Amino acid sequence: MEESGIVGGAEAVINLKAGSSLPISYHPSFGPHDDLLLLEADDKLVQDIFHQRVTLRGLPDEDAVLCTKSKTFAIKFVGNSNSMFLIPPSSNNHQLVSVLKIAAGNMELVEVSPRLDKLKQLLLANPFGAAEVDAMMDVDDDGLDHNNGNRGSELYSWSDLVNTVQASDEELSIGLQSLSAVEIDGYWRVIDENYLDMILRMLLHNCVLKDWSFDDLDEDEVVNSLVADEFPSKLASHCLRVFGSRVNGTERWKLEPRLVCLHFARQILREEKMKLESFMEEWKKKIPDGMEGRFEMLEGEVLTETIGIETRVYTFSVRSLPSTPEERFAILFKHRSKWEWKDLEPYLRDLHVPRLSMESLLLKYTRRAQPKADAPPVFSAR
Amino acid sequence: MEIRVKCRCGEDECSEWAIVELQGVVETQASFEGSIQNLEIGRLCHTESSQETYTFTVGYHELIGSKVTLKKPLLVLKKLQLDEDSGKGTELEVVGIIRTKILFKTRPKPLISGNNLSLSLFCS
Repeated sequence: MEESGIVGGAEAVINLKAGSSLPISYHPSFGPHDDLLLLEADDKLVQDIFHQRVTLRGLPDEDAVLCTKSKTFAIKFVGNSNSMFLIPPSSNNHQLVSVLKIAAGNMELVEVSPRLDKLKQLLLANPFGAAEVDAMMDVDDDGLDHNNGNRGSELYSWSDLVNTVQASDEELSIGLQSLSAVEIDGYWRVIDENYLDMILRMLLHNCVLKDWSFDDLDEDEVVNSLVADEFPSKLASHCLRVFGSRVNGTERWKLEPRLVCLHFARQILREEKMKLESFMEEWKKKIPDGMEGRFEMLEGEVLTETIGIETRVYTFSVRSLPSTPEERFAILFKHRSKWEWKDLEPYLRDLHVPRLSMESLLLKYTRRAQPKADAPPVFSAR
Repeated sequence: MEIRVKCRCGEDECSEWAIVELQGVVETQASFEGSIQNLEIGRLCHTESSQETYTFTVGYHELIGSKVTLKKPLLVLKKLQLDEDSGKGTELEVVGIIRTKILFKTRPKPLISGNNLSLSLFCS
């Protein structure tokens, strides 16, 4: 057996030739080295880490998550009862093969859903409404900074959100988008629904007045007309984004009938339960000419209940429900003990749990019953 | 709070660390006094007969094992505390990557002779 003659840490171990041997000792600075951590990562993640696209996010009282550009991972420590001798590469002042630390285990990553409920809670606590718009318009005239006063602590910039919400950048952007949030003066805000209602009604009014088609709106024209009506231009164009969609790659916009009709349904219902007939009547009145309100548009936003011969309708919005499956199902079954699939599905559609399909979610959280072979299945709590 | 995972080295230059993994723990003899630093643990040998086999001799014991390429690499991260007082400003820096380990999963075989008496191997 030949002495390998190689000096130099880990590389000597890795490249040890057949028929060679080398001594392994404790490193001159062998110790617990609690600041050295081992993180198991697949090749994709290793690339992200090498390119410095990875961060850890969470408040001191939360378990940290690891975020790439688009995904969120929980961090799990996996212990190992074997002794893992950690051997560093050689350095100029130490060239033997030696063990720096015995690792008790390593960290593993498990993809999880972003924790976006917190985002919703933070932004909805302080929506941007008419009073603030007035203040903003006043100060704008004299060119002074209007970020002072009582604003501040309850407002969140992008970097505040990144520091508070456990989600990757992309997931956070999508979360902001699905809340219809908009960045105003550097802070992400949701717009008060009543204020949005004012802008939308003015926009629809302008469409009629100027003979614009709902399917072909020019952003500049729309915004300029709303600014003339004293709405801030930022919010005017935001209104288009909330209720419309861009026409394939152009600067033109199309109002989405479903979003517009849904908005008016919510405005009518508020916290009330209404007889279906009177609701439909009032709803049709509110919907602009040229659009048609169909009850299916309200999936995931309103529910009906039938008592005797009377059917009543009320708001029950998927947007107000928690995003973790456990909490979501708990609230759904608390609200109603039995659900038909057609009613239930709109309240589950947005639930995306890594590694779990809708089928397995249903198996895990619901009991499925089918009163008759040809009857639709009914779901109840497990 | 956001902690960026930094990497100064980049993939090609990231230094490779290694792991030697064995069952149980290596302990010093009860009679051993002094510092464990610099002490020789044992001798790693890549056998002539087989490309796959490695032995690790610790004290009176010999372990037989093999070189394993990790399915998922392990990154060696170092926690850096930029500001000791506030607890703020923690950073994690990649200092190495581990792709290979020499794994000894068998129980040790006693050797008849041996002269390294300062260490012995206990199996859990």
